[in-house]
Amino acid sequence: MSVRPWAGRPQRCAQALAGAAVALLVLPFLGACQPRRDPARLIVASRNRIDTVDPAGAYTVGAMQLLSAIGDPLYAIGTDGRIEPRLATDLPRISGDGLRIQVSLRRGVRFHDGTPFDAAAMVFTLERFLAIGKLSYLIGDRVASVRATGSHSIELRLRRPFGAVSQLLSAINLTPLSPTAYRHHARRQLSDRFIGTGPYRLSFFTPQQQRLEPFAGYWGRPPANRGLDLVALSNSTALFGALQSGEVDGLLSTSLELDHQAALSRQARRGLLRQATGPALEIGYLTLLTDQPPLNDVRLRRALALSLDRRRLVERVSQGLNLPLRGLVPPVLPAGTPEPWPAYNPQQARRLYRQAGYCGGRRLPLELTFRSNIPSDRLFALTWQALLQRDLGDCVTLAVQGMESTTAYRQLGDGAFQLIVLDWMGDFPDADNYLMPVLGCDKARGDRCLQGASAASGSFWTRPGLEAELRRSASLSGDPRLALLRRIQRQTAAATPYLPLWLVQPRIWVRPDLDQPRFDGSGRVLLQELRRP
Amino acid sequence: MSRSNRLLRYVGARVALAPVMLWLLASLVFLLLRLAPGDPVDALLGTRAPEAARAALRAQLGLDQPLLQQYWRFLIGLLQGDLGTSLTNQQPVRAVIGQTLPASLELGVVALMLAAVLGLAVGFSGIARAESRLDLGARLYGIGTYALPSFWLAMMAQLVFAVWLGWLPVGGRFPPTLLPPSGTGFYLLDSLRDGLLHHHWQNLLGSLRHLLLPAGTLAVLLSGIFANALRLNLRRAMDSDYVEAARSRGLSERRLILRHALPNALLPVLTITGITVASLIGGALLIEVTFSWPGVAARLQEAIAQRDYPLVQGIVVVVAALVVMVTVAVDVLLAWLDPRLEF
Repeated sequence: MSVRPWAGRPQRCAQALAGAAVALLVLPFLGACQPRRDPARLIVASRNRIDTVDPAGAYTVGAMQLLSAIGDPLYAIGTDGRIEPRLATDLPRISGDGLRIQVSLRRGVRFHDGTPFDAAAMVFTLERFLAIGKLSYLIGDRVASVRATGSHSIELRLRRPFGAVSQLLSAINLTPLSPTAYRHHARRQLSDRFIGTGPYRLSFFTPQQQRLEPFAGYWGRPPANRGLDLVALSNSTALFGALQSGEVDGLLSTSLELDHQAALSRQARRGLLRQATGPALEIGYLTLLTDQPPLNDVRLRRALALSLDRRRLVERVSQGLNLPLRGLVPPVLPAGTPEPWPAYNPQQARRLYRQAGYCGGRRLPLELTFRSNIPSDRLFALTWQALLQRDLGDCVTLAVQGMESTTAYRQLGDGAFQLIVLDWMGDFPDADNYLMPVLGCDKARGDRCLQGASAASGSFWTRPGLEAELRRSASLSGDPRLALLRRIQRQTAAATPYLPLWLVQPRIWVRPDLDQPRFDGSGRVLLQELRRP
Repeated sequence: MSRSNRLLRYVGARVALAPVMLWLLASLVFLLLRLAPGDPVDALLGTRAPEAARAALRAQLGLDQPLLQQYWRFLIGLLQGDLGTSLTNQQPVRAVIGQTLPASLELGVVALMLAAVLGLAVGFSGIARAESRLDLGARLYGIGTYALPSFWLAMMAQLVFAVWLGWLPVGGRFPPTLLPPSGTGFYLLDSLRDGLLHHHWQNLLGSLRHLLLPAGTLAVLLSGIFANALRLNLRRAMDSDYVEAARSRGLSERRLILRHALPNALLPVLTITGITVASLIGGALLIEVTFSWPGVAARLQEAIAQRDYPLVQGIVVVVAALVVMVTVAVDVLLAWLDPRLEF
């Protein structure tokens, strides 16, 4: 039986509807109740959740960007790509044997807690980093010890000569820390506070939000804004929307979906936003398993190199935002040009496949692994698969499979992948930081690397004398070093254990009422220059 | 044995079983994490660190010790209330949970309250005019909200109210231009306290503005469950013999519903509420991710990707403990309320 308990009382429904209408009317009221914003304070958003602000524990791009605003390195890479002394007064002085480095430190610099910056503080910082730094291998491999030689000078003793020591000391992880503030954290991390010497002091920290206030006692040019709030939103759509709605003033491109980046770039071209691009220091590349059939045949590796239509792939995968790359060293760095890997040439590729016994009825089966949690990797895999099918479908067939990145990293050294898409950005901008991590080899048998970076990266390729050349290049400087690095790249390209794919340029978009932003030579936004005129 | 004694014995058994369940769960999580390929060093250092550096970091994080030793340390720590230290930022796991769990609970409680009001109102309206357009609308609402993909609704709400209309923020838990209130970690309560004590009402408004979209979206999604449950159970109750008997005694329809049918119809709704609360304690992952809500579910997802073993274990154990507590509480409440239940 049906019941009508309130039959004849339609006003109840009307009341309910009125209630809903009132609730909806409250929304714009709440919208109007936005906290008032100081126009000289800016909000910059990104997808970068920052777990720790301790330079010893920080390793993500977002953390490095934050550290570059609240800390100062000894040296910095300027917007023109040149090394500039920052907390050092001049370039390092290298002893005749190349094993001792003298660095003079700037006087009159103070930490955010008011204590003076001196040699003891720098020694404290470097020793702390060597002891507990997650990336301590950066200097631990090269620096044997550090000591103060005066109140404002230090000496580094190197394990072996290293020509790019200024670049190494530009790593933001080595930014000095106040020994007073960190006295209880000399051998453990301090994740949520930072006392350094940078133009901003960190006044509030959570992984999702960091508040930066201009440091009144800063030794250099004071920030152009009255402070910054760096916020992390966890998805690309929210970030895109936040900039569109004016909720944030600037947006960093790290981890932003390429579709959103392309849309923002289009808006910037129409003058609706301002866009700045930094030096392209992040590379995407393919690792080839060279010690197992079929890719132990160099003809097939070269054929694959000739089968890569980078221009089209970059267009399809990144809508033209990334740049095609034919070298392991980014072209903005010395030794990055000329790019020695061959350009797309399907005819020549076909000849090589034929020489190896493929094409016309026999197809080379290959398996490409991509990191399933990185959308551009997947898009690349599918696009290349389709392009190969179209252009060289009778010679090669590509199967693609996704795998979560951490799982894939664990299996790289086991030789689990015929072909895998990876990326890399050096911790400091120098060719050594791009070649050594893929070509280094501690133990080899012929052309097969048994132990070392090449084996760990899943290629297992080396050649007799390569490790010695890499070490020698690290000890050289100037033109001899460039010549040697170029030769190493040429020889690597001839053997093709890796296939460089593209370069990723960091970007920032800001609201049109802000001044044009700029990047430094390390690929970080100069946050202190952001300004609403 | 009297019913109250049986009830006490039932509660005692449930409470006594809880630690065993937690131990089993904690052990399972511990084992599964170690069985999964990749470890924190792979997640932290990626592909390029030298093997010596990887080994050093592994030793620093205690991952080079035998599995049994790691498990023993984990269990001893757990018994002492020490959940360990996060591998990614060296913060105590308790502190990380202390920062993220209140966010999830706040979102969950507010969403649940809104969902209950909305869902019960819609469910009730179906009874007001059975088989009418209103009833049809209520049914469609119940099915529709239940079937809607949560991420889609969340993104649409974000697009309309935050991006197009600009009424509410796109994401986050608090305006970046203000400093979050200190205290319990429940920003709504802390902001209310600040407002009452110091007349800082901006904090409360800021909290509300940030809470409204995620909580509203979650509430709409959950309200369908309440609406359907109430509608069906109320309809069943209204058709039952005891209601018919009461009607024949001349009781008004309003009294019939409020005094006779509704209490019985609400019992299954209470069970559903319990299950929903239990699922919300672990956070509503898609809502948290879409609205950048810094809750425990989003943190757990990141911790899994980072292979932050202690943090994953800690979150799972704490959330499981709360879920066990809530389910026991709901079971006991039901047993107490419903004399028909046997235990």
